[in-house]
Amino acid sequence: MSLRFVPPKAHPSQTSLETSAPSAPGVHDSLRSRLAQTSAPATISSSSKSVELQSAHPLEARLVQWRETQDRMKMEMLRREFGIAEPIRRGMELKIAAAGEWRPAVLGGASGVHKAILEGRDTEIGWEDVFVGNELREVPDFHSEMEARMKMNW
Amino acid sequence: MGGFDFSNHNRNVALHAQGVPLPKATSTGTTIVGCLFDGGVVIAADTRATSGPIVADKNCEKLHYIAPQIWCAGAGTAADTEFTTAIISSNLELHALSTGRKPRVVTCMTMLKQHLFRYQGHVGAYLVVAGVDPTGSHLFTVHAHGSTDKLPYVTLGSGSLAAMSVFETQWKTKMSREDAMKLCSDAIQAGIWNDLGSGSNVDVAVITEEKTTLYRNHITPNVRVPKQRNYRFKPGTTAVLNEKIITRQEINKYVTVHELKDDNAAATVETMDVDQ
Repeated sequence: MSLRFVPPKAHPSQTSLETSAPSAPGVHDSLRSRLAQTSAPATISSSSKSVELQSAHPLEARLVQWRETQDRMKMEMLRREFGIAEPIRRGMELKIAAAGEWRPAVLGGASGVHKAILEGRDTEIGWEDVFVGNELREVPDFHSEMEARMKMNW
Repeated sequence: MGGFDFSNHNRNVALHAQGVPLPKATSTGTTIVGCLFDGGVVIAADTRATSGPIVADKNCEKLHYIAPQIWCAGAGTAADTEFTTAIISSNLELHALSTGRKPRVVTCMTMLKQHLFRYQGHVGAYLVVAGVDPTGSHLFTVHAHGSTDKLPYVTLGSGSLAAMSVFETQWKTKMSREDAMKLCSDAIQAGIWNDLGSGSNVDVAVITEEKTTLYRNHITPNVRVPKQRNYRFKPGTTAVLNEKIITRQEINKYVTVHELKDDNAAATVETMDVDQ
């Protein structure tokens, strides 16, 4: 766990050394064969997970992960100060608030005000709140949404 | 996924790889300045908007409202300065309502730099933030990548060098309100005359503890003079070859005729724009 507040770059920042030539994997290469003993293999950290992106634009990966990175850093700082109970309690509160807040999608969906207050974002407005990006999406009607919620769409 | 849309980026990269040239970068032109004085702060801007070599707007407004006592002058991409200041204005108002206090200029500056840093300079807004709050009068510059400055007098934009030369030679500490306004206007005029990207008029905003006064078109040194000649011909210049008079009674057989009165505003057709 780290305290990084800027999302990592989407492209890999390091490569693992191979013991064979990249053009012929698996074939013994005398010049590289001893590299495995001198360099530690690169470990993939569990906290970084790949995100679905529309493009290879460097800004997109950054923006998609921005809020998540900020939240993760905040939780990590709370964990260091108060112990693991604090981030867990907040996570549970968020989950309870999310479960209690529901509004039919035909009426525009839930506003997320409880979630915003718990996250400390109730005095923030961003482009994502104005340009939500689902103007052309088909909204499910009330009955099919309710059936899906109650698991009646068998 | 809301916010910015990157769906065309991969297509553009593929097109570029096939040899389609990149669109040319347009250079932006502006002169904006700010100056602290005894009891407040002045910001000023020119009013020319350019798109490449073309003057897009001769009298645009580059001074943006953020809060009653905090104003912003913007250089760079016009849409970016407009929208960045608008969203920060909204955020600052929400923050002020939440805390129940007047917003501070440093808060505004921090919000702006954090917002712009997130977009890594892709939001091309270069701003001069000025304002008066309970802690005094403040003047900052914010660049598109998120760096900030705090100085007693600042200039930004392509005309910043011309404007800075005026400040560097004439600025004094503890200036009066009139002197500061004059100095800022002179600095903007240095940009107007010596920088091709800046022009037209001078806008000034004076922020003091009591109120903000916006002087829109404070100085208009580039008034359009009337043309010395025109293409209007006197009535009777062309000879009348033949003439036929159709009376109203005659045409009433085919159509209905309504009399238009001159003072009837609704019936008045749009007047044509002609050179005077």
